[in-house]
Amino acid sequence: MNIYTPKNFKIVKIIEETPTIKTFTLKSLDGEKFNFQTGQFIELTVYGVGEAPFTPSSSPYKTDTIDVTIMRVGRMTEVLHSMKKGDIVGIRGPYGKGYPVEEFVGKEVLIIGGGVGLAPLRSLLLTLIERINDFKKIILCYGARTPQDVVYKYLFPEWKKIKGLEILRSVDKCQPGEWDEIVGVVTCLLDKVQVDVKNSVAVVCGPPIMMKFTTLKLVELKFKPQQIYLSMERNMSCGLGKCGHCQIGSYFICKDGPVFTWEQLKNIPEPFE
Amino acid sequence: MKKLIFKKDFVDRLKEIINKSEYQIIYSSDLNFITLKSEDELKDINFFSIRQIQPLKQFFFYPKEELSNVKQTAKKRIIVGIKSCDLQAIKVLDRMFISDYIDENYKNYRENTVLISTDCLYPKETCFCSIVNGRPFVEEENAVSDINISFIDEENFILESFTSKGKEILENYFSDLKEPSEKETILRNKLRENAVKNIFEFNNEFLKEDKKDKYYKTLKNTYVLEDVWKKESEKCVQCGGCNFICPSCYCFLIREASKSHSEQYRDKVWDVCHFTGYSRVAGGANPRKYKYQRFRNRYQCKFVYRYENFGFYACTGCGRCIEVCPAKIDIRKVIRNLVLAKGEEVLVKK
Repeated sequence: MNIYTPKNFKIVKIIEETPTIKTFTLKSLDGEKFNFQTGQFIELTVYGVGEAPFTPSSSPYKTDTIDVTIMRVGRMTEVLHSMKKGDIVGIRGPYGKGYPVEEFVGKEVLIIGGGVGLAPLRSLLLTLIERINDFKKIILCYGARTPQDVVYKYLFPEWKKIKGLEILRSVDKCQPGEWDEIVGVVTCLLDKVQVDVKNSVAVVCGPPIMMKFTTLKLVELKFKPQQIYLSMERNMSCGLGKCGHCQIGSYFICKDGPVFTWEQLKNIPEPFE
Repeated sequence: MKKLIFKKDFVDRLKEIINKSEYQIIYSSDLNFITLKSEDELKDINFFSIRQIQPLKQFFFYPKEELSNVKQTAKKRIIVGIKSCDLQAIKVLDRMFISDYIDENYKNYRENTVLISTDCLYPKETCFCSIVNGRPFVEEENAVSDINISFIDEENFILESFTSKGKEILENYFSDLKEPSEKETILRNKLRENAVKNIFEFNNEFLKEDKKDKYYKTLKNTYVLEDVWKKESEKCVQCGGCNFICPSCYCFLIREASKSHSEQYRDKVWDVCHFTGYSRVAGGANPRKYKYQRFRNRYQCKFVYRYENFGFYACTGCGRCIEVCPAKIDIRKVIRNLVLAKGEEVLVKK
């Protein structure tokens, strides 16, 4: 088996999250289960078009199928968005190191997501919910550009009922009467949360600019660099720590990440951008 | 195992190997690697040239490889005339391709190839292996080649095997030969020392020998010297020549695309960290969008990042990038200027 060759998966379900974001449910053609750790990523191939890395948004406890939530931004995702139920795509992986969930046990877990960056965090959240009593509390801060850009709208009502899980949401801008929660960039939610900084961890995923300002804000709130977990994103080609594309300092994001602590990245040139 | 042999006899034994085994011979003729077509060509082997123009990596990590599940059939090859700088680069490639996940094609090509190295007695002005912890010859402790040829003079060679593959060949084809004497080994070592001396002399105006990780420590914290990097990269035209010709540059891209409506392909091609699109992501964000950042990244990769990963530099001092550069950028001058910008001493004290 060539390590660069994908396996075939069938699209079994498509949910339109927003006008530019869809969640695809994929099932292995040969019926194999797909085991992964939350936060690990896959390389998804649209045959004849391209291959790109994505992090599953489904719970790792669910192995019959996997979900990937994908925004239409480039050539490959454009074609993917035009695909239908029953179409075949390729998957390699899972690759990399996921979220170190065991290190979160007994702590307050602050999850901060921006836009489609909630995708890997949904997988983490579903993992934490399975064993919610192991954590002191979980706080989800989610920011989107507008109310229309909010993903997983149908899941929030259920999540809001869960004891031990607090949810704060914001949108950057909205029409009057469209949004009854907070208006502002996601970092403004951090002023509203009550956390015991000493006994907590923060997990961040979103567009580079959001990651940068959220990290700065967390540092300002006295989070130590090793308490801040970032899901990094780079142009990853092989996913196996060989091709060089995702190099960040002496790390390869695909192999040593994609989850890093700020401690690991703080002295490296251009971590965000 | 060590054996003493005349140059002429060595060539004759190669003939015997071709006739008795399935090995194909790739030999060094002046500055090229050539695949042997007929026995007559054996007289063209140049044992004394410097490293070839094309890097050794091309025999294991092809510029373009189709990706499929069909296992590539690798021919058995013997490559004669490899220089120490290229072998050092193979150490880098081995770490990349046959650790963790195994690149089967690379492994297959490596396993089916016998590497015969030769001492580099006549280095040229662009050579600087000894500045970056290398030597122009192979030593047993960290040998990558299977057999090494060193020289007592232009007609008398010492063969030395380092691996089971190399030992097998010496046993099968060279077992009747005697071992070199101590005197002969001393003569060889003198030639080696002389080559090292020459390399230091060529580089006197640039850099002195790396001691105690000097160049690692220097380059590690130079990303703050943005003005220096901007100035040094000013002339760079981003052609990628240095990447392609570098024996240790391992970057590649997996391409999934279509030639036509019905014909899809998937392959793996060499890629270049100097190209703008190299690290650009969908949507257009680019962590290294400026030329100086990409230029700096290549130096940091060789002297800092891979050094932190492997404990040795990914630059082997072969000097190919100096020769290939259309803008005449000299890696040694760049490093020298960085060292100077940090206020450190670079030159050999006279």
